[in-house]
Amino acid sequence: MNRDFKKRDRELEERISRDYQRMVKECDLHLDLMERELPPPIEPLVEQLESSGISRRSFMKWSAATTAALMLPPIFKSRVARAAEQFGRVPVVWLHFAECTGCSEALLRTSYPNIDDLILETLSLEYHETLMAAAGYQAEENLEKALHDFPGKFICVIEGALPTGLNGKYLTLGAKGRTGMEIAREVTSKAAAVICIGSCSSFGNVQAAKPNPTDAKGISDALGIQTVNIPGCPPNPINFIGTILHYLMFGALPPLDSLGRPIWAYGKRIHDYCERRPHYDAGEFVEEWGDSGAQKGWCLYKMGCKGPYTYANCAKVRFNDGVSWPIMGGHGCMGCVEPNFWDTMAPLEKPIAEKTFGGGEKTVDDIGKILAGVTAAGIATHGTVSYIKRHNQKDFAKPEDEV
Amino acid sequence: MPDIKMKKEWWLSIRLIHWSVVISVFTLLISGFYIATPITFGSGATPDKFYMGNIRSIHTFFGAFLTFLMLWRAYLGLFAKFHARWTDLLAWTDLDNLITQIRFYLLLSEKKPSHRYQYGPLQALAYNGLIFLQIMIILTGLIMVGANIHAGLSLWLGNFLKPVEIAMGGLAGVRMIHHIIAWGFILFIMVHVYMAVWIDIVYKEGTISSMISGRVFRKAE
Ligand code: HEM
Ligand code: HEM
Ligand code: SF4
Ligand code: SF4
Repeated sequence: MNRDFKKRDRELEERISRDYQRMVKECDLHLDLMERELPPPIEPLVEQLESSGISRRSFMKWSAATTAALMLPPIFKSRVARAAEQFGRVPVVWLHFAECTGCSEALLRTSYPNIDDLILETLSLEYHETLMAAAGYQAEENLEKALHDFPGKFICVIEGALPTGLNGKYLTLGAKGRTGMEIAREVTSKAAAVICIGSCSSFGNVQAAKPNPTDAKGISDALGIQTVNIPGCPPNPINFIGTILHYLMFGALPPLDSLGRPIWAYGKRIHDYCERRPHYDAGEFVEEWGDSGAQKGWCLYKMGCKGPYTYANCAKVRFNDGVSWPIMGGHGCMGCVEPNFWDTMAPLEKPIAEKTFGGGEKTVDDIGKILAGVTAAGIATHGTVSYIKRHNQKDFAKPEDEV
Repeated sequence: MPDIKMKKEWWLSIRLIHWSVVISVFTLLISGFYIATPITFGSGATPDKFYMGNIRSIHTFFGAFLTFLMLWRAYLGLFAKFHARWTDLLAWTDLDNLITQIRFYLLLSEKKPSHRYQYGPLQALAYNGLIFLQIMIILTGLIMVGANIHAGLSLWLGNFLKPVEIAMGGLAGVRMIHHIIAWGFILFIMVHVYMAVWIDIVYKEGTISSMISGRVFRKAE
């Protein structure tokens, strides 16, 4: 019996190590291929790190953390580092549609750049409306050139939703005044992959919230194509970087869930990794901003935390070099990575049961109480009338023998 | 004295299911509304307390129990050798009888609906509604259990029901629907219990005790 188990264990171990070796081999082959086929980064990462005074040691630490976040075994640490150095080789066309540019801001602009930011700096942006110097017809030429130079090789990153109403006329861009729909359709059809960054391009976000006058939609919905969605408002840079690293290492995009989100980043629920969870299970809730419960770090459920309905890795990887994340900072999760969160997660600072309906002030419980009251009144009336009838008409509703 | 006979109306398993459903539904209502708007248990050290955890376990346990009871009742409705046929749920399709019952309940007429079916026509309609509520609350409940317990059957069910979850607007929408249906149960219970009492008084057939003893007292026809 015992020997059987040992044998099974050994077989399992052997299989795992065989699988890992195969993955490692594939990874190395693909990284070699990338280095051969794609132009070297314009601004090598090593130089970037040096000029910002970030040591090799910190970079290796970052690689270890990112390997873990990607749910890869430690043997991949050096490969993650190598892929990060090749990050700038992937040609990227970055499109903006209906959005606030907050994702670009969050990703690319910081006063104290960390390793994530520096890696993003090396990104080979063939076209990025906010960052490029070109304007007007010249900008359009840049886009056409990128499509021409890297057909089927570039990654199309999209920020922003597509208004589909009025045949897309709510959003026209550029010197030629083409609609967002037209541009998106053309560029995505030539891209190696489409990555939707932020909740707008992933699911529509606030533009698509009720009543959605422009009929805005996420890219995948609007065009009917498969996209990789990195939702968040804004998303964590590591979820974008990790997805590109995966592409560089394995030549394929990571496995996705049924909403197109990479499982390594969006496979687990906030509520299940939250450091306040023991307080939830104990029944200790913050009742008011700044009360004694808040000071003790109790659960934010009653302050409207939507962690129980939200799948993301915020609790694990946190933001800004792992310094903090919303719930650690003392505010509940808003569920910003879920489709239609402005509608489904409302009200944002109260539990979901306090949602009001039909533009009025009534919650489900209010409506339920009113209906229960009406039912009770109906029962009372029916009962009284039955009683009176029974007494007036001796024969009503009585077995015939008593008549 | 007219000839009053005892008639077996409800077999033991039906009564057992009925009262198990009553206990489960009341427990689920109380624990469910606590989960929706919990009260803080402030005193004591955190590691010694597990109030929310226990209440959620109780809710999940009785939720699974209710699911089992519903499957059992459905099995009886399809295959039982005694009287528990699902066709009783179609009693309302006899429209004449339906109108007779409505007029009788509204105290407009003294003509009683026929005893041909196990249920009265309105009762059958109400149970159709209840079955819909049960299926929906079990479905939404199982989706949430799938999100809570990532192992075995519940994990499998959660993955299997993922498309339903997404169609309902994610876990938040699922939970909202679950909450709305909980109110449907409250309204059903109010009317159901009142009608049981009313019929007990008006028919004098011992309707309420019949759900315990299984027998009604019915005049020979
Ligand atoms: C008559 C039956 C039931 C009633 C009245 C009921 C009521 C409720 C209510 C009011 C809530 C809170 C919703 C909110 O937060 O707004 C809830 C949550 C929940 N219910 Fe039910 N429920 C019933 C049956 C079930 C069943 C059959 C299952 C599972 C098989 C189930 C599983 C759950 C779960 C998992 C939660 C979420 C708790 C959590 O993990 O946070 N319920 N229920
Ligand atoms: C204390 C509360 C309750 C009492 C006194 C009660 C009483 C009764 C009685 C007397 C009947 C037989 C009706 C007739 O033939 O005229 C019945 C049937 C039934 N009751 Fe209740 N009931 C109660 C609560 C509930 C609850 C909470 C539910 C479900 C949520 C429920 C569901 C049913 C169903 C489905 C039947 C049909 C039985 C079958 O064929 O399976 N009852 N009840
Ligand atoms: S703070 Fe939010 S995510 Fe954390 S335990 Fe409470 S409800 Fe769950
Ligand atoms: S904690 Fe919630 S609201 Fe905040 S970023 Fe993460 S998913 Fe979005």
